[in-house]
Amino acid sequence: MTSSWWGGRFVALALKELRQIRRDRRLMMSLIVPPTLQILLFGFALDSEVRNLRLGVVDESRTAESRELISAITQNRTFRLVGSYGTTSGLETDLASGRLDVGVVVPYDFARFRARGRPVTVQVLLNAVNANTAQIAQGAVEGAVAWVNRESELARSTAPSARIQRVVPDTEDALRAYHARTTPARIELRPAFLFNPGLVNAWFIVTGVFGALIILNGSLVAAATMIKEKERGTVEQLLMTPASAFEIVAAKMVPLFVLLMGMAVLALTVARVVFHVPFRGSIVLVLTACACCVLTGIGIGTLISTLAGSANQAQLISFFVNPPFTALSGAFTPIEAMPKWIQPWAHLNPIAHFVAIARSVLVKGAGLDVVYPHLLALATLTAVLVGISAWRFRRQLG
Amino acid sequence: MQRIIAQARKELTQIIRDRLALALALILPVGLTALLGPSMSLTVTDMPLAVQDLDQTPLSRRYVDAFATSLTFHIVPLPPGASPESVLIAGRARAALIIPEHFARDVQRGRVAEIQLLVDATDTNTALLARGGAAQITGAFAQRLSATNGTPAIRTATRLWFNPGREPRKFYGPGMFVLSLSIFPPVLAALAMSREGEQKTILQVYVSSISAREFLVGKILAGLILGLGQWCLVLGLMFTQFDLRFAGDPTAFLAASVLFLFCVVSFGTLVGAAVPNQAAAVQIVALGGFLLAFLLSGLTFPIENVPAALRWISSLVQARYFIVVVRDAFLQGGGWPAVWWAVLAIGALGLVYYGLAWWTMRRMQVKA
Repeated sequence: MTSSWWGGRFVALALKELRQIRRDRRLMMSLIVPPTLQILLFGFALDSEVRNLRLGVVDESRTAESRELISAITQNRTFRLVGSYGTTSGLETDLASGRLDVGVVVPYDFARFRARGRPVTVQVLLNAVNANTAQIAQGAVEGAVAWVNRESELARSTAPSARIQRVVPDTEDALRAYHARTTPARIELRPAFLFNPGLVNAWFIVTGVFGALIILNGSLVAAATMIKEKERGTVEQLLMTPASAFEIVAAKMVPLFVLLMGMAVLALTVARVVFHVPFRGSIVLVLTACACCVLTGIGIGTLISTLAGSANQAQLISFFVNPPFTALSGAFTPIEAMPKWIQPWAHLNPIAHFVAIARSVLVKGAGLDVVYPHLLALATLTAVLVGISAWRFRRQLG
Repeated sequence: MQRIIAQARKELTQIIRDRLALALALILPVGLTALLGPSMSLTVTDMPLAVQDLDQTPLSRRYVDAFATSLTFHIVPLPPGASPESVLIAGRARAALIIPEHFARDVQRGRVAEIQLLVDATDTNTALLARGGAAQITGAFAQRLSATNGTPAIRTATRLWFNPGREPRKFYGPGMFVLSLSIFPPVLAALAMSREGEQKTILQVYVSSISAREFLVGKILAGLILGLGQWCLVLGLMFTQFDLRFAGDPTAFLAASVLFLFCVVSFGTLVGAAVPNQAAAVQIVALGGFLLAFLLSGLTFPIENVPAALRWISSLVQARYFIVVVRDAFLQGGGWPAVWWAVLAIGALGLVYYGLAWWTMRRMQVKA
């Protein structure tokens, strides 16, 4: 009997909220347009891959050997040859003014030293303003040079051994002993990129943006609807209804929850259809995490609305809350790259937990056995935030 | 002139009385820059690496030690019975190194010893760093083993210009400087302008003797003064927390800063004039200022990687030019010859925004 009463009042209030949200065209727009736009923009535009760095060359040697070295460096897509310079000073000027990212100087005695088997030094100038780019560029240049070294050493050491093989093919042991004496240690690293073999950066960004999006938009929408009641002074009217404070709070949150879950599904669809993010793990697990995130967002929004006196203030307060939440979540840059004193704070960030879950489940195909600590932490944070915000909202009603 | 100054004074008084706006103006730019500047780094060091050593010889252990002593990796234990892949899925390691059986024998006999490196490529940039680090360590290890064979034929002498320590904060510090200046001054300007529309005080302006131009210049002047205050605070942070110094002639930077502030404040005023609703105006400026400055200015990720269909937008983003000037001033030190075009572009964009704001004001006046 009481449950049907409760249900009736609750449903009526929830329907009222739903209608109010639906009639507010700006709110509906902000549920659909910014999330889709943001996930598309961030997914397409935030590409940290280092490629097409502008390379300038001073080739003082002008020989086949030096050209071979330069082509080895420009072979992969990290570098793009944009200019050859007659003098080092021309190269340095362009590097200083930012027209070049990398400069390579091959000395004039390069081929002669190589022919005599003497070591020769190639100068590499790197614009290290961007530390990350510089590190990857340095690795690429050194990798290319190491490759040339290895090739030439192999050519030198296999040439006589091939002859031996042709003359005496069956003295296997002699051949081995010969090798051991002359060839350098050959350890080859075979890297395999798991989970994202094509190194599609969008998979990293989209799964990250997704979490930030749910919580940020959730909190904005929630704050906007909660504050409206306060601004219009209709809180008293709500108090006059026979509904209890709990019912009022629940009826405020449930329609928002349903709508925001719709937004989350929309964002997931964009991630799947546009960016081809693999859905390797259980989608139910991701949706559960989504639900926690949506509730967290509503909690943050409600909390902001109880602190603010008007919609403007609510928006300004969210200025203080949102940027650190997003930027310190690991959605865009890895948490491990942050300063050590900031890293522990990520445990208190719901976005960080959600991003970890989304990446593990969607891209790596992890199951509950792997992500349960994150899910547990997320659920705890959700419970605490929703609890505090509901308590504050109720106090406001009383 | 007197009317312009009076208008500017009124604006500043309004800001000082609004505690939330004042906090937004002074605390937030500094707090955000101090917090986010050092955190925005893509370069992961000390990555967890799981090792499966199937060889278990002194040589293979020396090879693993080479990884353990590097700054790039630290070794995490591989639980007994667990496959390297499972450790990667669980996120306990970023990469896994598999040393095959007969590794030591193969190396000693001069055969190719193949080491497998499994990299968690969920985070693509970190995956590339892991591969690069592992390749460098392996190369150096092989080099040491065959040290008797002499030095390699070609050596590289790498010189890192402008940021020899490869410190990320020297790259992201200027980025945060630009980001905070492209959000907060225009947001405040938009708030001040849309408030006039929302509270209908704009009508009082219409009936007063102040002209649209004077009104606008007064507003922008007030915004500029506030912006300069924020500029000073964040610049102080650059010198202290980020340990940056002017690398060369700072006059180009000073000129560009004033022009940039004029540009963003005009932009905020334009939005405030066009949208007489504070919440909506702030949202537009914040979203526009933040998204464009964050995504399409080369602040964090290279513009060249943005698809061509979106890239042209970046030439309309003032932050894109300002970042060039700021990085040049702090790191490269090229001065006017290197950045004059960027300073000009900021000024031109500023004039466009000012013109549009003036035009919007005029139109508003006719309507009212």
